[in-house]
Amino acid sequence: MSSTKMDVFSTRELPLLIESFVSQLKRGQLVGSKTVAMNTANLLREIVSRSPWEDIPSLTTLLKAVGKRLLRAQPRELIIFNVVCRVLHIVNEDYSSVEVVNEEGPMSKKKGSASGASSASKGSETPAMGLGQPGTGQPRNLGEQVSQSMDRATLNAFHLKSLLIQEIMDYILELEKTEVEIADNAREHIHSNEIILTCGRSLTVEKFLKNAASKVKIHVIVAECAPTYDGHEQAQALASANIDVVVIPDAAVFAIMSRVNKVILGAHAVLANGGLVAASGSHTIAAAARHHSTQVVVCAGLYKYSPMFPFDDDRFNTLVSPDAVLPYGDGELIDTVDVSNPRYDYVPPELVDILVDHTGGHLPSYLYRLLQENYAQAKDLAWNIQDE
Amino acid sequence: MSSKSDLRKTFDVVSYYNEVLKENTDVSAPVAAVSSLVELVKQQRATTMLELMKIVPEACAQLKCASHNSISLSAGCDVFLKQMARLSQGQSAEECSRSLIEAGTEFVQGAGKCRDRVAEFGSSFVRDDHTILVHSYSRVIMGLLRRAVKQNKRFRVYVTESRPDQSGLEAAKELQALGVPCEVVLDAAVGYIMEKVDLVLAGAEGVVENGGLINKIGTYQLAIVAKAAKKPFYALAESFKFVRLYPLSQYDLPTHRADLLAFKDSGPTNDWAARLVATNPMLDYTPPEFITLLFTDLGVMTPSGVSDELIKFYLD
Repeated sequence: MSSTKMDVFSTRELPLLIESFVSQLKRGQLVGSKTVAMNTANLLREIVSRSPWEDIPSLTTLLKAVGKRLLRAQPRELIIFNVVCRVLHIVNEDYSSVEVVNEEGPMSKKKGSASGASSASKGSETPAMGLGQPGTGQPRNLGEQVSQSMDRATLNAFHLKSLLIQEIMDYILELEKTEVEIADNAREHIHSNEIILTCGRSLTVEKFLKNAASKVKIHVIVAECAPTYDGHEQAQALASANIDVVVIPDAAVFAIMSRVNKVILGAHAVLANGGLVAASGSHTIAAAARHHSTQVVVCAGLYKYSPMFPFDDDRFNTLVSPDAVLPYGDGELIDTVDVSNPRYDYVPPELVDILVDHTGGHLPSYLYRLLQENYAQAKDLAWNIQDE
Repeated sequence: MSSKSDLRKTFDVVSYYNEVLKENTDVSAPVAAVSSLVELVKQQRATTMLELMKIVPEACAQLKCASHNSISLSAGCDVFLKQMARLSQGQSAEECSRSLIEAGTEFVQGAGKCRDRVAEFGSSFVRDDHTILVHSYSRVIMGLLRRAVKQNKRFRVYVTESRPDQSGLEAAKELQALGVPCEVVLDAAVGYIMEKVDLVLAGAEGVVENGGLINKIGTYQLAIVAKAAKKPFYALAESFKFVRLYPLSQYDLPTHRADLLAFKDSGPTNDWAARLVATNPMLDYTPPEFITLLFTDLGVMTPSGVSDELIKFYLD
């Protein structure tokens, strides 16, 4: 562990970086899931590259601590949590694969080979299924890994660092290209001459529809989504690509649903049970679509998939200023009426038909698999955070 | 072979199993089964692997025949057999039995931890001011509710009476001792109170491949009513209760007997009450579409995630 003047300087800067990010979050200055995701990922990359860590377990602890701080600054912002979990997963996966390459000892038989040693049942997360360990995908107790391989790990920390930073850069690139890659799937879900209903402003959905429109003729109906009237912006963006757009008031959604072929929604986040945290108004649209047996397609990047379960419908919702619903100028009415303006809607998983991410379309029941692939190594964090 | 008949005289796996269950009420059937099998392996004198591989499955078969709630028990036996199959590769009988004993003892000791982990994952779903409906007596559910009480959450519980053994009354007694307001509900009254309930909890005898649940009779009914009233239905199960079964109907369960609730031509009966206990099933199967989430020691999962876990365990 070097301690040159240069390093001390850079480590002094790092806490400042974290502090400024935390205060930006607290003040709500970071708006938009993509912005938050990119900023969080960049911050974590800086932490990995600049902070003095000797081995993976200490890096993991550091990342967890930072993650908890960020989450406490903005508890309802699921995206932060997703990104932190994903980075932790990347870190721990690299750790275990390096471990297997470097050691021939009994505990390196993690990845798929048959076990004969008695250590097979040690260090497993569950004593029960541990009776039959190791399976090909069983995550092992980090504690066991630490105690059994501490000295070996320090030898690898140096080239591990560059490997990790490379992986995180890949992840950031993936984040940047999310919408484009999702839009590449558009043709599979949208057929020619279809009438599509969407709601609110979503960059992902906009690119998705534009991609389809470049190849086939489609008609889009946009619900205006009062009181933000985001639908108007969305309509303008779509019209600029020469798509036939109709803007309708939210109340007309049910009436028009019988003429709609498909509903395409964006989401702020996708929860682990398949439910969505989406723009206010999405639940009504999804329910109307279910009533008419119309398919509901949700376009959401992988960074929006959260390992959290909704304990109740409003866990991840916030209320914003009611001025947009009932202006403060309406003096008399304000005193007698309670006005609330929820920002998001919870859409239950039964109402969602297909989730489209950059790899293609999935059923909500397949989510557990995606979560496992992307967040398995961060399970501890996911469950320790829940109670806070 | 004489050693085998000696074994049968000196160690009766079924009576050991019954003793374990009697001594410790906190122990569940599969854990007791593994405990008895560990004891069997300790006491047997097999000199070849082949002998060992014969003795243990025979004992498992004996246990399965002797018990009524054989679903969770056979799950436990299967876990033990699978581990034996793994450990038997390239080892002598002695080495194998030693490692089996070690693994089995660890399993038994860790089983309590399994229950704690289930409680840990599930207790966040219980929030202040909730009304919970619980079916029958389940140690895992008690563990979860106990943990929620420790977290200073205030909630109320309805417990179904759960005939014919009325195990719901046990549950109510325990909850009262914990200071949780509870009421015992007739099995027939679940439809009546479902609107007042916020969530439904059920334990498990076994979790089948498609994510469905095998549990005390009455669970299926409860799940249907919960779905109709749009209330979440959560099942709690430790991972060793996952079984490789895929029932297509209620009558596909291994515990099903042809004489269960079959119309009998046995002449006039006066004692319908006794007849009821004898002819009624003890377990039923709840299809996965009625289950919202499963709380297991491997985490919270949707019913579709169960098969993946099973595959990981059984195929490697």
